[in-house]
Parts: sequence; C-alpha cells; structure tokens
Amino acid sequence: MSVAQTLGKQPTAADAADAAVTLSASRPSLARRTKNRIASGAVVCAVALAAIPLALVIWAALTRGIERLDLALFTNSMWGVVGQGGGLLHALVGTLLVTGATALIAIPLGLAAAIYLTEYGGQRKLAGITRRAVDIMVSIPSIVAGLAAYALFSLLLGPGTRSGLAGAVALAMIMIPVVVRSSEEVLRLVPGDLREAGLALGSPRWRVIRKIVLPTALPGLTAGAVLGVARIIGETAPLLLVAGFTDAMNYNLAEGRMATLPVFIYTQWSSKGLDTAAYDQRAWAGALVLMAVVVVLQLAARALPPQIAKLRRNR
Amino acid sequence: MRLSKTRKLAGGATVGLILGGLLGLSGLAGCAANEEQPAGGGTGNSAGSAGAGLTGELNGAGASSQSAAQEAWRGGFAAIEAGVNVNYDPVGSGDGRTQFTAGGLGFVGTDAPFKADEAKGGHGSCAADSPLVEVPVYISPIAVAFNLDGVTELNLAPNVIAHIFTGGITNWNDPAIKADNPDVDLPDLPISPVHRSDKSGTTGNFTDYLTATAPEAWTAGETEEWPESGGEGAEKTQGMVQALTAGKGSIGYVDAGQAQDLSWASIKVGDQWVKPSAEGAAKAVAESELESGRGEGDVVYSLNRTTEAAGAYPLILVSYLAACEKYSDPKTAELVSAYLKYVVSEEGQKAAAENAGSAPLTSEADLTAKVNAAVARIGS
Repeated sequence: MSVAQTLGKQPTAADAADAAVTLSASRPSLARRTKNRIASGAVVCAVALAAIPLALVIWAALTRGIERLDLALFTNSMWGVVGQGGGLLHALVGTLLVTGATALIAIPLGLAAAIYLTEYGGQRKLAGITRRAVDIMVSIPSIVAGLAAYALFSLLLGPGTRSGLAGAVALAMIMIPVVVRSSEEVLRLVPGDLREAGLALGSPRWRVIRKIVLPTALPGLTAGAVLGVARIIGETAPLLLVAGFTDAMNYNLAEGRMATLPVFIYTQWSSKGLDTAAYDQRAWAGALVLMAVVVVLQLAARALPPQIAKLRRNR
Repeated sequence: MRLSKTRKLAGGATVGLILGGLLGLSGLAGCAANEEQPAGGGTGNSAGSAGAGLTGELNGAGASSQSAAQEAWRGGFAAIEAGVNVNYDPVGSGDGRTQFTAGGLGFVGTDAPFKADEAKGGHGSCAADSPLVEVPVYISPIAVAFNLDGVTELNLAPNVIAHIFTGGITNWNDPAIKADNPDVDLPDLPISPVHRSDKSGTTGNFTDYLTATAPEAWTAGETEEWPESGGEGAEKTQGMVQALTAGKGSIGYVDAGQAQDLSWASIKVGDQWVKPSAEGAAKAVAESELESGRGEGDVVYSLNRTTEAAGAYPLILVSYLAACEKYSDPKTAELVSAYLKYVVSEEGQKAAAENAGSAPLTSEADLTAKVNAAVARIGS
C-alpha cells in the first residue's frame, strides 16, 4: 500500500467498498479504520524521513568515492606521496589489525562478564555494581576512552607512546559494554528448563554453561560481537590520539604508529595541500572503503548465526 | 551424513576465513607497492644519492598550518632517506609544545616560538638541560577572505577589518567600506564574520596584526583564542574554508595556501593596497628583525607588522620547527638533524612552496647562515 493511499488522499474502489460495509458489525468502524490508516501512514512517512539521510550519505560516498576507487588505492600507502596518487593499504591493514585486536580483548572479557551476570550474579551486590558500571561505560564519550588508554600507555612505556595496541585498548573500553549488554540479553533468552535439566542430570554448573547455555545462545552471541565490532570500527577520536597516524605500512601492533581508515579520512580532509581535489578524492574513497568494510561485517553478522546453528545441529 | 559433513566443512571454512582475515594479518609480510623494502632488507636507499642510509622512525607534532608543508618534506625526505619514516601529528601548536615538553617527540612545529626562558631547557624530549634549536621553516600569507556574489576585489584597511570582526561594521554597504572601494558595487547584505573556534596560530597572528595596525579599533590584544563573543566559529583551517565557501556575505582569515578558491581582500600597507602573495610575505619577513636575547640556536623573528615597504604583506604567519640541541638517544639526534637540514635546504623550501603555497625562506645570506648554524648544533 502506497503512502498516498494510506493517508486516504486517493479514494479507490476498495475504499468505496469499505464504506459500504461500515455498518456491518464484522468490520471495524470507519473512524477506527481512518485512524489506523493515518497512523500507519505517519509511521511510513517517518521511516522514509529517517532513510533519507542514510540514502544521501551512501549516494555522496558512492559518487565521490568512486573517482579514486582504483587498484593503486589498495596497493599503495601514502609513504613519500605528495599531492596526487597514493593509497590506503596501510590504513586498511591498520583498521583490520586494530579491530581484530580489539575483538580479541573485548569479546572474551565481555562474554565472561555477561556469563557472570546471568548465571552466577543474580541479586548479588557485585552483579549490581557490574551492571551499573556497564551502564556508565556505555555512555563514556569515545575520546575519554582514548585519553585513558593514552595515559595508561604513557605511564607504562614512557610519554608520547603511540601504537596500534594502545588504540585497541581504547576501542576495547568502548566495545566491552556493548558486548556485555548484547550477550546478557541473549543468555537470558536461554530457557531455564534447559539449565535445570542439565543440573538435574548431575552436571556441574560450568559444564551446563559450556555444553548447554553457550551453544544454545551462540548465534545471538556472534551477532552481538559483530555488531560491537561495527560500533568501534568507525571510531576516529581515540585512534587519532593513541594510535596516531603514519604514511607507511606498519604490521606491528606493539610498536610504532598505525594508520587506520577513519583517521586516514580525517587527515586527508583536514590537512590538504594546494591540489585539494587529490586529498578530497582520497578522503571520499576512504569513506567508501570503510562503509564497505562495515557492510561486509553486518552481512557476516546476519549470515554467521544460521551457519553456526546448522553446524551444531549436524554435529 | 555426508551432506552434513560438507555443510560442517563449509561453515567451518566461513568462520575460519573471517577469523583468519581479522587475526591472521599480523603474520602477513606484504608491503605497499610504493614502499621499498626498509634497509633491513638490504636494498635500502636506492632512490636517493645524498642519503646517509639512516633508518628508524622520527615523530613530530604541532601546528596544523604546517601539515601540507610537512607532507611535502616527508615526501622529499623519503626520496633521500628511504629507511626513515617521519610522522607528523597536526595537533596544533599549543598541544604540540606541551607534548614536546612532556617528552617522546623528535621535533615540534609551532606557529608561536617557545618563550625565551622556556627555550633554555627543561623539555622531556631532550637530554637534560639541553637548550632548544628553533628555526623559521614555513612563511605563509594569511588572507582576509570573503564570499560576496560578483565581488572579487576588495580593499580593506586594518581598522575596517577590526571593526568588522568586533561587530562595529555590520553591513557590506557600510560607508567605511565604500570609501576605500569606490569602484565596487557593494550589496546591501549583512556581514557574517567567521573566526576560528579552536586555539590557533592563525588567530594569534591575525590578532597580533590588528593590535599593531589598528590599536584603537582592536583592543583585545594578541591572542591565540578568539576573544570576541559574536560571529560564527569554525573549527580548524578546513572548517573556516567551508564556512566561507558556504556563507554568502561571510568574511574570515585563513592561510592563503588553503583558500585558493576564495576571494582575497587587499590590505592597506602604508598607502598602498596589497594582495596576499608569497613574495609579499617574504618581503615582510625581510623587513623584520630577529628577536634579541635568545640563544645561538634560537632563530626567532619579531615580526614588523607596521612595515610600509612597497609590496610587503605583513599579515603573515611564520611557523617554526623546534628541536633539541642534545638528545639522549644519538639515533634520534641523527634523524632530527638530517630531517631539519633537508627542511631548511633550498630543495625542501621549494617542495613546501609547491604543495602548500608558502613563501620560501628568504635567500638572504645572513639568515641562511644563521639557520644553518642553528641546525648544525643538533647532536647528542
């Protein structure tokens, strides 16, 4: 049904038929149906309005990013490049490395916290404190996480230390609460009967969790983890602060600055040479690549859970 | 059963692929096509002839005004020393100086030099008690840029500029503007002055210029943070360019190299109207004196904003590179010394002029000698 129809602007044969049977008790009254149509029309309009900015962003990134979407973009770094040319391989690799390291830190920690909250915590004091702490961590501005990681690594390894690992620690602070929240929700959905059945058969608790609760919740847990990754992959401010920026490739998380895609986009936009078009094109191409990475992750989040469920069923 | 096994395999492969893609990359030893194998690989510096075969990482931070020039220098230096990776974080002059004092940086780019007593020592990035080496490396005209339909030429005297930015003149057809622009058809349009909302060296130089040339109209003095409450604020140079490009009737101040597509006003110098240009900026520097009472490695200008020399454009930004005379790590000293030597060389200054639109250091023998002597002091 189109928006115009739901708003009742275009009377159709169906509308006339509706009116004819208004009096029959089996159909809702005209007033109710009109209200229903207005309400659903308003909702459709709201969805369309919300989708407009998204469509504009995708359109802008596509049309402007396509200009530099060539092979050189994926085989070159910015090392020694002035003006035209160059690529973002170093930033793409950096983003994958930093995001991977973040996931390695955040997913086990977040999952462990969620297991404690659902399986052991109950009404205990520590569980309450943990829940509140997670709530607070969710609302921490990302730059604060960046500052915390910066301070930590400056204390440990000397002032001004920047590395991909420091960036991963900062991002993990943002990702952990997301993982805890989503994992807790999913673990709660596992029916209590299953747990009780396991316990009744004499399994210890850890075994029930490992063999029954976690496998049952696995698809949801995976989706939550991937969404957490999608949440942090576009973060700029903390990475700018603690991972820094470099023109060259760096595969070593533990040492040296590491470029990432969001920071690449930011630096291309914020510090341009005389040939501004070259910088703008690189920035838009970077935005397009980053969006593509996020879309791939989201698709993976949708495709993975059924795959895993299949795996388990066939075991 | 067989079907389930293949499914299992397919699922396992998917999971493995994604995990492997994310985590396995650290083991990858690929390299970007434009990067040579670092010196460890043996080929080292094949592109440069003048290189000393240095290797390592050199980190700097500071003024965002220098970032385009720093990019040119990094590019040029990469051709000489293929084994060195230079990084520059354009965090702003103030933050750059703070980081340098805290430690961990090789050099800092700053629009305002360290104060004379700060330059004597006490910086975490240096060996204990090492004084600083400061040299001017980036000279650029600041344009008073505006966006007016049909108007590309405009004459603005310093006190008119000051009145516009303090809210005393609010319309483009104000008699004060008309008086200096008899041939321009000025529209009846409110003026929208744009200033930098962040702490900025550009603001510092702009307010310094107004303080010197229009003391009655501009009373807030020289400050890196915009002192007035009215007007539109814009973040960083690019924010300023965007605000001016988008806003009809807007006016602002911006590094001329970064505002090629905007209209630039001519400012009054003596009784002439002068447009921003690299040559005018160089001339204004030549009219200025070096600040006295500083160490031998500390080459800092006291800019002459009120010069009346023909063709000089005194609304300029002179940005410095600061480094240590002595480093605790001899390797850092070597890298900083090589990089700064390249930056102040004729070649390095030309590279910056081409990518950033800055004025090369004047070829005045006296200044060149002083700058080279200062850079030569860097050691360990």
